[in-house]
Amino acid sequence: MNVLVFGEKLEQLAGLTSFIATKLRPSTVYSAIFDEPKEQDVSVLGGAGADKVISLPSHIWAGGAAQAAAALSEVVKKLDLDLLAVYASKTGLEIAPRAARRLNAAYASESVSLETADGGLLASRLVLGGGYVSTVLLKTRPAVVSMKAVGETGAFSKKPAVEKFSLSVEAPGVELVEIVKPEASHVELEKAEVIVSVGRGFKKKEDLAMAEELGRLLGGELGCSRPISGDLKWLSEERHIGLSGKRVRPKLYIALGISGQVQHLVGMRDSRTVIAVNIDSNAPMAAESDYFFVGDIYKILPIAIQKLKEKLGR
Amino acid sequence: MPDVVVCVKQTVDVYQLKPHPETLAPQLSQAQPKNSDFDLNALEEAVRIKEKHGGRVVVITAGAEVKPLLVRECLAMGADEAYVFSHRDLARADGYVTSTVLSKMIEKKVGKWDLIICGEASLDEGAYQTGPMLAEIFNVPHVSYVNRLEYEDGVVKAWKTVEEGVAVVRCRTPAVLTVGLEINTPRLPSLLMIRAAQKKPLVELKPEDLGLNPEMLNPLAERQQVKALKTERRRKIFEGKPEELAEQLVETILAEGVVKK
Repeated sequence: MNVLVFGEKLEQLAGLTSFIATKLRPSTVYSAIFDEPKEQDVSVLGGAGADKVISLPSHIWAGGAAQAAAALSEVVKKLDLDLLAVYASKTGLEIAPRAARRLNAAYASESVSLETADGGLLASRLVLGGGYVSTVLLKTRPAVVSMKAVGETGAFSKKPAVEKFSLSVEAPGVELVEIVKPEASHVELEKAEVIVSVGRGFKKKEDLAMAEELGRLLGGELGCSRPISGDLKWLSEERHIGLSGKRVRPKLYIALGISGQVQHLVGMRDSRTVIAVNIDSNAPMAAESDYFFVGDIYKILPIAIQKLKEKLGR
Repeated sequence: MPDVVVCVKQTVDVYQLKPHPETLAPQLSQAQPKNSDFDLNALEEAVRIKEKHGGRVVVITAGAEVKPLLVRECLAMGADEAYVFSHRDLARADGYVTSTVLSKMIEKKVGKWDLIICGEASLDEGAYQTGPMLAEIFNVPHVSYVNRLEYEDGVVKAWKTVEEGVAVVRCRTPAVLTVGLEINTPRLPSLLMIRAAQKKPLVELKPEDLGLNPEMLNPLAERQQVKALKTERRRKIFEGKPEELAEQLVETILAEGVVKK
């Protein structure tokens, strides 16, 4: 099997390259970059298991998802490959389905596993709000997948050659006007050991101060369910935990006033310990918690914060 | 005046879904069908464009067992007409089949269009694929994850959610856009609008109306199995007075040993 791997950032590309090289053991792994790769990037990709690095013109990348999809499809066709694997960043999730359609290929979006099987590739993905795993057989050659899976990037010691692909693509363009960065400082929820997360149980934006204070006392980060960042815009998008937001795995996850819609659960399910406070004992969060406190956050939190201050001396 | 097509999927309400206790398969027949959440955001945005610029809003829905009542809801929200393709083979549809069918509905029944707006992902499959695939079929640009939209004379300016923040992009129509719940709050139709919707055209289509043969309804990605994820949690429940609960909460947090003293 021969595979083309693409990820928009080097660490994503290397991570997915290593995952594919380790899991599928293809005869050739090609890693694609829309640029002329630096020597050290090539060696990182070699360490991740790339046999060859495909260098594509950077102006194609600037033209948007349709053009990137067209270029990657062209490489797959020219090299007669079996699989295109795209790192499932937000842009990756725009490129992969376009490429699949262009190649008339079977596609599995945001796959969580991938293996070879009789009649094609077997991919599994989360469906029905993230509460279920669906297994799909990709029956075409080539096939296309998008994944967030990453493998160990230093596991190989290959010395990939760089192959420059000069191609022109005919695809509609989207012009980037500007990128507006959020004012909030950079939050790395994925690396937090403690996360205090808030949901619709909070009635006003000012009330989030309770959760912020709890987070500060515990040395944790503040997270939220989608309505808080999306509908209400009380917190920035980078604090959104769930299906279309961050996937986190802290040692301690404290869910305050979060009912536990499946879309949220998929983002926090890998937490080591889950503590929840919710007024509704029937909330789905109860089944997803190690410790579930049935009660009013407005009554419990102020007392708990006071007690923590005394005990921790902060 | 722009002609806007909105693709609306009917799915089960995943919030109500319970797995079978032994097989762990989703008990789909026990959950209510509904219009997929983000698709209603797409429809709301289309109706707002019409209110500002004129034109028409056409809803298209394809599925294994399309419920006309749910399509009427879309008409009540302000769509002018709806086309429906209901076929049992679509229970197995993948993104390839879905985008093929929708593109045929647009090509054969809508004719000229300026914008196609879809929910960024469906409630059940959540694959983020239908919009980009439709754009590829029609060879037009697409913008996903749009949270704010401006349309003026054949040019779309869109604010899209990306990892770094918000990217502001521009493209010409015809184009495909996908939206999430951030872009608007879908309106609840008034009784008057619901009554008016009864008179709007809702056209049910057959494969031959769309030039579809059985082969075109055959998925390239074939679903083998769907099973509930099981989480192993201690599920210890605490109930009582706020003071007691607060005390137990603090003890439970500190007992985890991750908080530095």
